[in-house]
Order: sequence, then C-alpha cells, then structure tokens
Amino acid sequence: MMNNSNEQNVKKYKSVKTSKSVSTIISYSLLVVLSLIWLIPIIWILLHSFRAEYNGEFFVGVVVGDYFPKSLGLENYISLFKDTLFLTWFINTLFVSVFTFILSTLLTLSVAYVMSKLKFKARKTFLSIAIILGLFPGFMSMIAIYYIIKAIGLSQSLFALILVYSAGSGLGFYVAKGFFDIIPNSLMESARLDGATNSQIFGKIILPLSKPIIIYTALLSFIGPWMDFIFAKVILGEEPERYTVSVGLYNMLFGSQPDENLFTVFAAGSVIVAIPIVTLFLSMQKYYVEGVTAGAVKG
Amino acid sequence: MEIKDKLEDKKSRETSRFLSFFKKIGINIKTSFKNFVNRFKDGSIGTKLSHFFMGAGNFYHKQFIKGVIYLSIQIGFLTLLIASPKVNNTPIGFKSLVNLITLGTEEGSFELGIPTDNSMLMLLFGVIVIGLLGMFLAAYLSNIKSSYKADLDVKANKKPTTFKEDIASMLDERFHTALLTPAIIGIVTFTILPTIFMILIAFTNYDKDHQGEELISWVGFENFTNIFSGTGEIANRFLPVLIWTLIWAVFATATNYIGGILLALLINKKEVKGKKLWRTIFVLTIALPQFITLLAIRSLLRTDGPINQILMDLGLISEAIEFLGNANSPWLARGMVILINIWIGVPYTMLMTSGILMNVPTELYEAAQIDGATKRQAFFNITIPYIIFVTTPYLITSFIGNITSFNVIFLLTNGGPKVSGGWQAGETDLLVTWLYKLTIEQKDYNLGAVIAIFTFIITATATLLTYRRSKAFKEEDAFQ
Amino acid sequence: MKKLLMFLAVLMISLTIISCGAKDPLTVWVGSESVDFYTQKLEDYKAVYLEKYGEEFPHEFKVVGVDTGAAAGTFLNDTEAGADIFTAAHDNLAKLTAGSSAVEAVRSQELINQINADNPQIFLDVIKSDVQGTQYIFAVPYIAQSMILYYNTKYLTEDDVKTWEEILAKAEEAEKRALSISGTDGFNNSFILLAREVETKATTLELYTNGVLENVNATGDDTIAKMKWGQYFFTHPNGGLKPTSATWSGELKNETTISFVGGAWQYKSAAAALGDNLGIAILPTFTIGEDQAYGTCEAGTEFQSGSFFDAKAFFMKKGSEYSEYLEDIILYLSSKEVQEESFEAAQNLPAYKNAQDEFEAFQEDTIEAELALTQLMMAEHSIPQPFGVKREFNVYYYQKGAPELIFEIFENLDDAYTTDEAIIAQMEIVEEIWETGVNNKTS
Repeated sequence: MMNNSNEQNVKKYKSVKTSKSVSTIISYSLLVVLSLIWLIPIIWILLHSFRAEYNGEFFVGVVVGDYFPKSLGLENYISLFKDTLFLTWFINTLFVSVFTFILSTLLTLSVAYVMSKLKFKARKTFLSIAIILGLFPGFMSMIAIYYIIKAIGLSQSLFALILVYSAGSGLGFYVAKGFFDIIPNSLMESARLDGATNSQIFGKIILPLSKPIIIYTALLSFIGPWMDFIFAKVILGEEPERYTVSVGLYNMLFGSQPDENLFTVFAAGSVIVAIPIVTLFLSMQKYYVEGVTAGAVKG
Repeated sequence: MEIKDKLEDKKSRETSRFLSFFKKIGINIKTSFKNFVNRFKDGSIGTKLSHFFMGAGNFYHKQFIKGVIYLSIQIGFLTLLIASPKVNNTPIGFKSLVNLITLGTEEGSFELGIPTDNSMLMLLFGVIVIGLLGMFLAAYLSNIKSSYKADLDVKANKKPTTFKEDIASMLDERFHTALLTPAIIGIVTFTILPTIFMILIAFTNYDKDHQGEELISWVGFENFTNIFSGTGEIANRFLPVLIWTLIWAVFATATNYIGGILLALLINKKEVKGKKLWRTIFVLTIALPQFITLLAIRSLLRTDGPINQILMDLGLISEAIEFLGNANSPWLARGMVILINIWIGVPYTMLMTSGILMNVPTELYEAAQIDGATKRQAFFNITIPYIIFVTTPYLITSFIGNITSFNVIFLLTNGGPKVSGGWQAGETDLLVTWLYKLTIEQKDYNLGAVIAIFTFIITATATLLTYRRSKAFKEEDAFQ
Repeated sequence: MKKLLMFLAVLMISLTIISCGAKDPLTVWVGSESVDFYTQKLEDYKAVYLEKYGEEFPHEFKVVGVDTGAAAGTFLNDTEAGADIFTAAHDNLAKLTAGSSAVEAVRSQELINQINADNPQIFLDVIKSDVQGTQYIFAVPYIAQSMILYYNTKYLTEDDVKTWEEILAKAEEAEKRALSISGTDGFNNSFILLAREVETKATTLELYTNGVLENVNATGDDTIAKMKWGQYFFTHPNGGLKPTSATWSGELKNETTISFVGGAWQYKSAAAALGDNLGIAILPTFTIGEDQAYGTCEAGTEFQSGSFFDAKAFFMKKGSEYSEYLEDIILYLSSKEVQEESFEAAQNLPAYKNAQDEFEAFQEDTIEAELALTQLMMAEHSIPQPFGVKREFNVYYYQKGAPELIFEIFENLDDAYTTDEAIIAQMEIVEEIWETGVNNKTS
C-alpha cells in the first residue's frame, strides 16, 4: 500500500517538476523575445551614434539600411560638441530643470497636502475644477501664454520657460495626494493635542516622513524640461542659443530645414541626453515603489 | 420587476442630484446677497463706511495695518482702471473693457506712422482686467467681512484680532490659504487665463490671413458652423478625424491595458528570477524621452531602414514596405501606430500592475488555501478580479488620456499619410494633432480653438461621468 | 533650506529685472549658414560708417542664424520682438505688408538707386508692394536661388542629363527610377508646370501675371500636354518616384533613383548621398510624345523644364529704434562687393545681375562655382514666385490642395485620369483654386 502511494507521489512529483520546467522555459523565452523587441530601437540608436561611414570624402550621416553599422568612430560626438550648439542647449536645459523642479515641487506638494489633509469649505469644488482644467489640451493655450509672458516682459527667455513649466504644476498633485492620504490622521491629531499649529505639523512632522514622495515629485519635474519639445519651441522663439536640447535635437531632423545627414549626430545627442535621464528615472522608481508599498503595508 | 425599479430609482436619483446642484447654486446666491444686505444693516459705522472706502472698518477698530492694506488695494486698482497705463502701446485699464468689445478700431496709417491697434493684446488685457475686477470684488467683500467680524468680536466683548494674530492664524487654521495661494496664482495666470483667452479666440477671425498689422474682429459662431456643418473643406475632415480618434482611443487603451497586465503577470511568475532586471528593461522605454524613441522607430521603419532591409534579406518581401506613410493603405499606417503605441504604453501598465500584484492582501490567498482552492482557481478567482477591480479607474483615465495622446502620432507619422485638400488633417491625425497643426503651423488660431473646445467637451464629459463612479468604487473598496 | 530658497528667489527676480532693462542690440537675422560671415561684415561696416560719417557707430550688432523660409512668419508672430533687419524670401512680401505693414519701406534714394542698378528685372518686379494706396519698395534682394538637377554620375553622363528622355532610358537600362523629388507641393511640381517651349520660350500657363488675381491659366493646350507628359513620366516603371519615407537622399544613396531636382540648399545632403558620383546640371528638357500631344501642342514639341527663381531679401522692421541706421547698413550688406564675398565665403548665390561675368569666383573651377552657374543658367527659364503681391496668391497656390490635385494626375490615381477630359476637368478645378481659393473637389 505504502509503496504504491509513494510511487504515485514520486510520479506526481516528477510530472509536476517537468511541467514546471516546461513552463519556466516558456516564460523565460517569452521574456527574452519581448525584451529584445523592446530594446531593438534603443540599441539601434546607441549603435549608430557611434557609426562613422564615409562615401568618398563625405561623411554618411543619413539613415542606412544596416542594423549594425559597418564602421564605428567617435565623429558624431565630436561633431555634436563642435559643430552644433549642443553644449549650450544642455546647459540651458539644466538651468531650466533646476529651477523648475524647485518651483514645481513646492507648488505640487503644497496643493497635495492641502487637498489631502486640510479640510476647508471649497475643497470638493477645487478638486473637481482641478480635474477639469487638466483636460484642456496644453498647447492650445500656448499662444495666449506667449502673450501673457510678453506682457510681463519675459518673452523668449528661459525664465519664461521655467514659469510655464512650473506655474501650472499645482494641478498635478494626485500622486502626492495619494501619498499624503496614507499618512494616518492620528499622527496629526496627536500633534495638535500637543499644541502644534498646522504649519508646524506640515514642516516638522509630515515633510520629514515624505522623503520618497518629495524626491519623486522633484525628479519628475526635473525630467520634464528635457523631454518637452513643443512648449519650448513656441516660447523660446528663434535664437538657437536659447534652445533646450529637445528643441535643438528635434530641429536637426524634423525642423523646417532638416538635414538628413545629421541623423548620426542626432543619435549621439540622444545618447548623451538619455544617460542622466535614465539614471534619474530608474533611481526614482525605487522611491515611488517605496512610497506606495510603504503606505500599503502600513494601511 | 426589481431591475426595472432599480434603474428607475437610479435615474430619479441622478436627476434629483442634477437639479439639486442648480438649486444649491441658487440658494448660495440668495444667501450671500442676504448676508451682504444684513452686514450693511447691522454693521457698525466703520463697517458701513467700508462699503465705500475699503479699510474704513478696520481703521474704526484700530486694525491699522489691515486697513492700510485694504485701502491700498482699492487705491491701486482704481488708479490702474483710470490711468490705463500702456503696455506695448495697448492700454490696460478701463479702456480695456471697451477694447474687448471692439477689438481695436485704429487701422493705422503707414504714411503717418500710426500703428495698428494690437487686437490680440486688447483681447488679453480685456480678460485680465475682468479677472482683476473679480479679484477686486473678492477683496472688497473680504474687507467688509473682516470689519463685520471685528464688530461681532466687540459685541461679544472680545478684542478684535490684531495683525499679528491674523498672521498666526494663516499658519494654523487658515494654513490651507497660505499654501494654496502661490499655486492658485500660478494656475490662474498660466492655465485659467490662457484657456479663457483661447475660448474667446474661437469666436474671432484670428487666422493666418490676419497676422501682423491687421485688425481682428468678432465673428460669433461662424467658425463653429464652418467646422460642424458637415459640408465644406474643413467639415469634411472633421468627422473622419473624430471617428479615428475614438477608434484609436479604444484600441490603444485596450491593447496597453491587456498587454501590460499580461506582461506583469509573466514577470511576476514564481519561476522567473531577476524580476527587477526584467522590469527595468521594459521601464527603459518610459525613461527615454519619447521624441528620441519615437523618432528612432520612425527612422527604423523607413523604406531604406533596417527593418525593411532585414525583411528583404530574409526574402519575406521583394519590395520595401512603406509602413507609416503609404497613401494607398492608410490602415497600415493606423495599425502600425497602434502597434507602436503598445511599445510605448505597456511598460506603464506593467509597472502599475506589478505594484498592485505586490500588494494583493495575502489574507485572501490564505483564506482560499484553507478552503482548498488550487493555485489556478486562486489565480482566476482572486488575482484577476482584484487587478481588474483596482485598475478600472486607471483604465478609464487612460482612455480619456488616449483621446488627447499627442506624441505618438505626431512623432511617428506627423498625421500622415496626407489627404489631398485635407486642411492639413492626414489619415492618422487625431483631434489634438490636427489642433496643433492648425494652431502652430497654419496659424489658424480660431479654428484650432474650436477643435480644442470640442475635444475638451468630450474629455470633460467622459471624466465627469466616470469620476463619480470611480469615487464610489474607492469608497466601496475601503469598506471591503 | 529656507535660506537657500530665499537666495534663489532673490537671484531670479534680480536676473529678471536686469534682463528687462538692457537695451536690445541691433539685431540682424540671416540664414544659419552665413552667420559668421555677416557677423564679420557688420564689424567691417563699423569702419565704413566711420569713414562715411566721421564718427563711431554708436551701437552693437547681434547676428542670429534663422531658417529664412520661416523667418517672415516668426517675425509676424511678434513683430515687436523681431529683428531690426531680417532675411526672407521675396514672396513673403504680401504677408509682411498687409494692413498697415509690419515692415518699413525703402526711402533712401541712394539705396533705391543701388537696388535698381544691381538687380535683374525679374526681381525688380517683385520687390514692390502697395500699402494703403501707395506703392513702395520693401525688399532688398541679395541672394538668389533656383532649382537644379543633381544626378548620379555612375549612371548618367553630362550629355545624358540634357533631356529627360535620356535619363529615362538610362534608368530603364539600370533598372532604377529616374528621379526623386523632395515633396509633392507646389514648389516641386514647378519643373513640369512652368516648362516653356524651347523654340518660342512661350507657355500658356499663367500664374498671376502682372500681379493680377484673374490672370491664371491652367488649361491651355500645352499645359494639358505637359500634364500628360508628367503622367507618362511618373507612371513609367522607371520614371519619377513619389517621395517615400526613405527621403530623397536615402533614395539617391541606395541608388533607388539616379537623379534629384532640388535647390542649392540641399547640396550638402546630396553630396553626402552621392559622394564622388555627384553631378550638377540645369534641368533637362522633355519632348511631347505622340500620346501626349493635345490640341495645338503637337508631338515633337520640346519643353525646357522651368523653376521658381527666388530672391532672398533684407526687410526692415517698421518702428525700429534703430530705424535711422538700417538703410545704410542694408546698402552695404547688399552691395555687389559684399555679395561677391558672401558667395566666396558662404556660397550664397548673389542676386547681382552681372555676377556671372564680373565675379572672379565664378570663373574658377570649383563645385561651388558650378553650383552657382547652374542656378544662374536656370534663371533664364524661371520666374520668381509671383506670390508676394497679395497674400491670397500664396495661400491659393500652395495650401488649398492644388498641388495634390496636380500630383493625382501625375500618378494617375485609381486610373481616373487616363482620358483627356478627366485631365482637363482636374486642371479646371486647379485653375479655379488658383483664382478663388475654392477647392471644388472636396466641397
């Protein structure tokens, strides 16, 4: 009797094991295939940023039919810094992002905190209005913003861009609000019993607890100016010295006088822009996940 | 019988909610008016005076700093209105209101060097002055209320609040005001004001024929009839673009949603090691700026690009395929765009679902195990429903977001393949990309504004309809 | 933390105030390729000014490289912030002078004399505009541009490219396509549309002749014949190729096609695509075949491909704070001496009418000289874009769907244009668009 069931168990174990390994193989192969598909364009740009082919005297910068470049070299990177204004664009964008992230973070966190923790009369109305305002297509108002900025006297400057990116950021408070929601009200109530004012609660208790969400909001608003090419193009006007990297790179290939031959230089610029952004983004993932899961575990 | 009753019940609830919304507004207006009259009647002399000279009531109650603030607001505002200083040759003040209606009358003379009126700035300043009027009204009422409050304090034998106490309350009971004010200023100036401005533009003739030194005028609903009438050049393109926008939104949302969940489940499987690594690979596509990745894909798909080359080398096709721009097969372009959107969007959904999967309450699984459920049953009866339940609000918001998704179409096809005589709207143009072309490239601002208003109405209605339901969802979840 | 924020706030505010107060230098917009050259020239101008007026030039210059195709539009977006002198193609004239005009007229007699002396008649006709009843000169040409043929010397010789028929034959032999074009807009179809008979130099095609809206004709017999030839050319299995996503430079590079009709501004991309196999020539002729004859236009008539010959001109901002200096600066920058230097330094084709004979650089055997000479030779067979007279002309010609309709004929879309009647009907719609802006095809 015992032997039979043992045999049966062993058989069952073996069949479970094989079906398990089959499914593992399938899972892994699926993942590998999918990853490759997802990485194809990225690797391609990376490879071709190092492409250095010549057709006689002329440097071939256009898109070619080979996935793997025939010869490699650093010419594109050199040309990027010598022949284009890339360095200026990079510095411009850095300048805009730093100020944007300071302003945006302040505004977003303020609004999120108020929406989450402070009860006041018009709260529900503000919530609905905020959602509705967020639905207007952004660049519809660009020409209007351009005139408003002109009336202030800042037209066609990087300051204007900072204002544009930060000023409306108060509307994007949802994630931060979600985070604040998770902080238990009991914390605040006990502090109030101890005699703290609302501002003291915010500054001394809530903010230190909110490192993950602060970093998340800050990083998000820092990355924004590097990715936007529409607003920047309209607000900044004609002078290439004021462009941000996205406008500059975009103009190379798709502006009004595109030069197809600049494709490899474009690739090089993309790689350089991508490195800091990807690093920042990946490190931000950690905080976002931390923030969300921490809240879930607690609650 | 029961279902019918339930539906009717729901209908009557909704209608009564709708009516009560308006009733509430009516009641609000009535009460505030009543309050206004009462404050004048019952107030002290100071309060009565502050109806005419802002800050009078505060001075009466020896709240000097407050009084000075209110008085300077009044003086400042009235000065602006009357003096009407000129910015860029356009006055901002009382005249702006007149200019708002006429949008400039001076045509300018080249010979005499008289500049044409700048209709745009007149429109803008008119709106700004109206906004300032609104703010002044708020300050005015606040001035009366503060004096009245001091009156009440005195009646109750309390001292009226000093300035220091007011500041302190800003940091405590009214901390929300302190925190919200900078944000509101920013939002009003850079979101609300431009939006109102653009809505008004939809009623003017500000288009490519009216650039530079020319006057612009109001044309009423002409632009709307042009676009929606169903005949005429623009109208011919409107319906196709609208239909494609909706089709796109449905498919884009569905594919990303399902794809993301499937991918998250795949990575989350027990036997898969290095979950973080796999996730990072896919997240890489979100991390890179879209203008880089999408332009890369666009170049990849060119007829002389690698994809076509590989397909030809493999002998699968004899001639290069025009994936994204072939006028003879617009549906190929549309299909490709949806496909590539999967590439862009699945990682987002995957991330979100992964986060949710990590937080599925383990008690549910434990309870199921105790009840003797197999892994498979647990998966289909707990995991899937849970995911769907939690992500339904996201599904809805992402649908609404896809209606206004700009980058993918703009960078991949620029709305192409072109349609002849198409008023710039190509085969893959969405409402928003068409709006961009009309506004920024064509400089037909009025038409763009009409499209924008229409898009907004669609998305706003969808949001309002679903927001309430999703909120109800959230409450129920907590209850569970 | 708080201190840092306060500091940053103060910094931002002070920077804003500072930038508000600074006076803008005299700004000049030129093509991006010529920024360095004109920056140098403006420095030299200071010496010229000193000699002429006996005192130092009291202001600073700022030269910005812009896209001259879009410069007029950018200027109009915000005229107040626009440059004091900017470069734009002459057909923007109507846009710029609409209403009470955003640009200043040329009033200095010295400058007017120089303009009249230096420019070919075709340019003189298109630089004047009517503002509120009076006519003035607004544009000062200094660069010229035309379309030319770039070809792959591996498959075509200098003699081959004299006629489209030869090019087609060679394409057939090599199993390639004969021609790439960079777009299907009204600029790119001009080589067929504007073609003129080699013998008589005439064509019935009229495009706003003398700046009159009604002077349009797209239905003359020779125009129909030209359309039929265009259809023959583009539907031929080795004929012209409609633009694909590979772009014309990709097609040239991959030897999908063996020639390209484009402007001098596309030289670098063409060179990168063809390398040592690059050849340059004036646009070829084509001959009406038996099947393409129509009406009075008989088989055997030879047409020379036409083109638009455009001038890039200086415009002055109206009401500029530097208005008293602008005309003298332009006098210098558009003078024939500076045009010659501009050609040597930045390869800008001069607008000066006798450049071919008088400029040294033209006598040399460089690729730049060849590029320039080729364009100048095309000038004989070209007309300047006649769209600067009234704004509507530009819109009606380019933006109401007419070019797409013409291309439908060339492609014989859905085989709908095989008959003469169909082509005539289509061209009648085109003519109506040119005249009224109404596109009866879609409404």
